[in-house]
Amino acid sequence: MATTRREFLKVAGAAATVGAVGFPAVARGQAKPGVPSDPVKIGVLAIRAGIAAPVGQAGLRGTEWWVERANKAGGILGRPVQLVVEEESTPKDTVERYRKLILQDKVEVVIGGISTGVTLALGPVAEEMEVPWLSWDGTTQKGVEETMPNPKWAFRSVDNEVEAIVAGQLTPKYFKGIKTVAGIGNDYSYGHDCWETYQAVLKRYIPDVKFVLELFPKLGVTDFTSHIAAIQQAKPDLLMCSFWSGDATIIMKQAAAVGLFKSMKGVFTTAGGVHDSLKKEFTPEGLLLGYNTMYFDDPKGSALLKQFVREYKAKYNEYPAYECDHAYFNIESYKAAVEKGYAATKKWPSKAEVVKALEGIEVDSLSGKRSWRPDHVQMCNFYQGVTTHKNGYDFVTIDPIEVVSTKVAMKPAGSKLIEWINGWKI
Amino acid sequence: MGGVFHAAILFLVAAGLQLVFGVQKIFNLACGSFYALGAYTGVSAVAFFTGHGGPPTLFVIPLALGGLAVGLVGLVVERGLLRFVYDRDETFQLLLTFALVLMLEDLIRLTWGTAPASTGGLYLAYGQVRLLGATVPVYNLIVIAASLAIALGMGFTLTRTAFGRIIRAAADNREMAEALGVDMRGVYARVFTLGTMLGTLGGALVIPATAAMSEMGIELIVEAFAVVVIGGLGSMRGAFLGALVVGVLRSMAISIYPELEMLLIYLIVIAVLLWRPRGLFGAAAA
Repeated sequence: MATTRREFLKVAGAAATVGAVGFPAVARGQAKPGVPSDPVKIGVLAIRAGIAAPVGQAGLRGTEWWVERANKAGGILGRPVQLVVEEESTPKDTVERYRKLILQDKVEVVIGGISTGVTLALGPVAEEMEVPWLSWDGTTQKGVEETMPNPKWAFRSVDNEVEAIVAGQLTPKYFKGIKTVAGIGNDYSYGHDCWETYQAVLKRYIPDVKFVLELFPKLGVTDFTSHIAAIQQAKPDLLMCSFWSGDATIIMKQAAAVGLFKSMKGVFTTAGGVHDSLKKEFTPEGLLLGYNTMYFDDPKGSALLKQFVREYKAKYNEYPAYECDHAYFNIESYKAAVEKGYAATKKWPSKAEVVKALEGIEVDSLSGKRSWRPDHVQMCNFYQGVTTHKNGYDFVTIDPIEVVSTKVAMKPAGSKLIEWINGWKI
Repeated sequence: MGGVFHAAILFLVAAGLQLVFGVQKIFNLACGSFYALGAYTGVSAVAFFTGHGGPPTLFVIPLALGGLAVGLVGLVVERGLLRFVYDRDETFQLLLTFALVLMLEDLIRLTWGTAPASTGGLYLAYGQVRLLGATVPVYNLIVIAASLAIALGMGFTLTRTAFGRIIRAAADNREMAEALGVDMRGVYARVFTLGTMLGTLGGALVIPATAAMSEMGIELIVEAFAVVVIGGLGSMRGAFLGALVVGVLRSMAISIYPELEMLLIYLIVIAVLLWRPRGLFGAAAA
């Protein structure tokens, strides 16, 4: 597996330098013995409109990049890969499109799903349809508790609150003497869950910490000047913010306008999702900033990551964020599972065999090794660190970089979140 | 103070809404989309300006010009679409402007992409001042002043100039104005373009302080409706007062009891609807 990958890299790297345009998209007629030669259809659900559209777009771009490279190298067991892309929107409509992908397009697997509001509804449907579903970023949690402890067909993303846990663990390390904390997040489950979790973690490290203010503006608000004024009045030692979309950029800018972070520390658990919009002019050094599961500028990053970042920048003039990595991992793990199934039976594996092979499988993703826990939850690393201006970009990066595994920052299978946090030995 | 800045922007959009309703009796749902369109155009105009060596401190000039220029889309919309539905039922007019909302949102997404667009750090190009114990970006003060100047200019135009008299006459009694020789086609085209320009200018002016997102118009139009209900449909003074009430109260609510933020505005809307169904200045026409 590893050598094949490196060979892929060489071929694709050479292709890229030559200027990959004229290559046939699909290498045909190389299907392995016992494998059908028609394309393998993969259904994709991506958010296309609204606040999370950039996230859906990043996931789709990561998937397309994978498909382009995989097809040049012969697809999956010689079968070319064909994507059938549908839109993730409301739970009801997305469930309908999900059924359409399976019943009408006859896809082998469905990948994607970002909003937990949607994927919470998709989980039971995946079980009913008996086709594997791998989620990019959506969970089947209600609040912070799992609703599907033993799924057969559904594979879920990391728990939503992991970045709040990592930030809570790192806060006392980087910010000494914190006594009062204010929080701001979007007024829906993610914002509330992150704040609740962050408080629980921080209380373990700083038992007498006081939470002096919590603000939950609606998703989509573009004016936080009044919120910032309220935060200034509350005079906390630290502000925790779980914004992840354009609102992270906006609050950073409006905070800079009144010098908010001259008088307090800042923790942005998830703003790395829009990292290249956090310009140095208004984003101070010394904030704790989370990049979710992929940090584009990781000096210890793999050759794969470096190539991806380079080609992404060349194609879209942006630096990629974490959703690319979730998406890449999803489809790469599917390929690995099919190959694993084939190795056992010398036939294209059935959907049930693919699901079996996926459990516990580990593959190289953009960010490094990632795997599926036996109960179908993604395992990976989270990247957070302290913002710095010492780089060649016009936006902030992080140094030092903290890499925290879901092995220590995600509740184990079957456990309750707050009980688990309260049981830590510190 | 943050509330006043928000109110200044809100006033521009609501004033555009009021002007168009006052004269043309069309409730323009697309005013929020014009606001978003102005925001994106502002970002592009500033990027073009600084990209061609323009001094960053003069960025407000291309910003405002870009915002005003894209307002001309109002002329296209009025001549190309709206004029066909003036004599139809109000439902058609609402449907048409709602269709515009959807189309403009897609147009924005196709043109500028899905990622938020912003003017980077130019917001702080003019520095900050201490005012009443709070730090306020000078840019906010410029926008508040510009909005006030526009309000005064509108007041002057409506009450003291020939064009203003024609507008008020047309708002009061269209048939009579037409009978007296007023070219209503020209008046409608100009009024709608002016109304659109107020919205696009509002969008352009807000953008340095925030970032443009394709659905930003939807967020704003809800507040603009509240402004219109509080101030009274079709009234310019109503738009001014309504914007101030909504902007400042929202800001106060966040400081005092954040959960009340949106609720408070609707409570006032309900109160106004119960006690003064025509709004605070409802009786007065544009």
